[in-house]
Amino acid sequence: MTTNTVPTRVGAGTTVRPPGRRAHPPMRRREVAGAWTLMFPYIVLLLIGGIIPIGYALWVSFQKSPTLLQPDLTGFGGLNAYAKAFTDFRFAQSFIDIFSVLIIWLPIMIIAVVGLALLVHASPGRFGAIMRFIYYIPGALGGVANLMLWVYLLNPSQSPISGFLHALGLTTIKQVVATDGDLPVILSAMLLLQGLGQWVVTVNGGLNSIPDEILEAASLDGANAWQLAWRVKLPMIRQWIGYAALLNLAYGFQLFLEPYLLNQVASGALPSEYTPTQLGYWFAFVGHDFPAAAAMSVIIVIITLAIGLVVVFRSGLFSVEEH
Amino acid sequence: MSTSTAQSARIGTVRRWDAGRITRIVFMTFVALVFLYPLVGFFAVALRSDAGVAGNTGGFLGLGGLSWSGIQHSWNAIIAYGGLDTPHVYLTWLGNTAFVAVVGGVLALIAALPSGYALARLQFRFQRLILIVTLLAMVMPNTVLVIPLFLEVNAVNAVGELWPVAIIMGFFPFGVYLSYIHFRTAMPHELLEAARIDGLGEVAIFLRIALPISKQAVALVAFFSFVANWTNFFLPLALLTSSFGTQTISVGIQSLISSSPLFNPTAAAGTPIKLYMPELALATAISTIPLLIVFIVAQRFLIRGQTVGAVKG
Repeated sequence: MTTNTVPTRVGAGTTVRPPGRRAHPPMRRREVAGAWTLMFPYIVLLLIGGIIPIGYALWVSFQKSPTLLQPDLTGFGGLNAYAKAFTDFRFAQSFIDIFSVLIIWLPIMIIAVVGLALLVHASPGRFGAIMRFIYYIPGALGGVANLMLWVYLLNPSQSPISGFLHALGLTTIKQVVATDGDLPVILSAMLLLQGLGQWVVTVNGGLNSIPDEILEAASLDGANAWQLAWRVKLPMIRQWIGYAALLNLAYGFQLFLEPYLLNQVASGALPSEYTPTQLGYWFAFVGHDFPAAAAMSVIIVIITLAIGLVVVFRSGLFSVEEH
Repeated sequence: MSTSTAQSARIGTVRRWDAGRITRIVFMTFVALVFLYPLVGFFAVALRSDAGVAGNTGGFLGLGGLSWSGIQHSWNAIIAYGGLDTPHVYLTWLGNTAFVAVVGGVLALIAALPSGYALARLQFRFQRLILIVTLLAMVMPNTVLVIPLFLEVNAVNAVGELWPVAIIMGFFPFGVYLSYIHFRTAMPHELLEAARIDGLGEVAIFLRIALPISKQAVALVAFFSFVANWTNFFLPLALLTSSFGTQTISVGIQSLISSSPLFNPTAAAGTPIKLYMPELALATAISTIPLLIVFIVAQRFLIRGQTVGAVKG
């Protein structure tokens, strides 16, 4: 893989250059000026799209929440907004909901991704490429199109699996989605279909970076395809599996689109604040409580940031950690 | 890359029809059929009539029920949706989406290529910090920032307008990372030194030497950012929700769903246009056509850039 085979050139002092040239002040100053000119558009967008909103949300989260009697209440409110978010009756439940999805979805997802990636990698030529492409299609359609696909699948009146749904005693889509215990299973299936293909491509990229000599040597030693996959390839893509697990974990924490839209097709029969992100959305758009919404998003940012830091510094896939 | 992949995959796979090979091919084909079965049925619904879908006729996956008059009826209903204030709002949504996706994509290119070059090839303070922040922003799901972005846009009174959405979509850290990898691997270091000795400035080196050999990176950044922008749901939902006529297609389809008598009988009772499954499926299918087009255009670049693109997935 390009990211971990190319020696790093990040940070000062790592680049090997002819001695003397770099120390030449006017030339160095020109390089720095040129660098900042080239960086300028991105820095502006990074500030607008990343740094300022996080900083501003942090500031808003320490403001007083408006109340019914005082809708214009402002001023420093300390940790009030956080207390409000934490003590909301839906707060703990929304994290329990997320865990109930993650616990079903994540293990199946990782096993399926790794299994299919190994199978694709063992399939040379056109057949493997076509299979990989087919697995990729649902994810490429995007969130809302995928949701519509699931509405088609889950509506017993015209579903291609209506026999199965009728056998379970389900006759309307509202029943299918809102029957106790169904939602985590349905969400897991949706996330699986949506994410499987692109992660097969990713892990397959990791498999492609295994040097040919290693696979050749194992073959010469008499390893069959199964042993090659289990004993040689699998240990060598450990970091890719960890990467897939962590990024999907982070993805699970921000779940919004699927439960939000399923609630619409179930005519509101689901909890509208099923996940933490939905609860944050509720605070902002229904409760008009911006400090609580900001506090909620700061909490979610901290969780995903922690996962992100592990990925960037510990996964072994990004060269920044070599310093 | 692809030839060595094929070779390495062939090693250890004995080229004859043994039990292992048959099992592998049967299993992979089975999984592919599980994926294709609902997709084919769904796109067939888009091409069937209301009565055909409601009555569950048309045989296997309804493929026998494809009807031209059904498509025309569905299309007319989609176009008529929107009422007097916002006539044929479906087309407006497509236009809005094209606007934010293209402007966001162009901004992503303008930002990603020079910064990726500077991060890979030049030395300056905070270089490593910027790279780490970029990687973090890349691996974090972009929806976690939507509420903070809403608060920011709300603070400048621009909620309900398209341009903040387009600008925010221009912030595309994955594109910066792609360009960074490209310039670290694809450009010979001697070229840069030679240009410096010839007296070219850093910006001129980027524009005249680095950029012309970067078609691959341009195609990848443009493709990934366009697709991400086109399918983005939560950002336009939060920033455009207050105004029906400025929504993007993904949020618009949600409006179509919520006004369908299938899911919301009371809200749909008063509207003259009834949207059933064929209308909803057709509206969805049409909205994926631009994705198909950019995929076909970008395909030859994607195959070569697949390993780099794989980092984000």
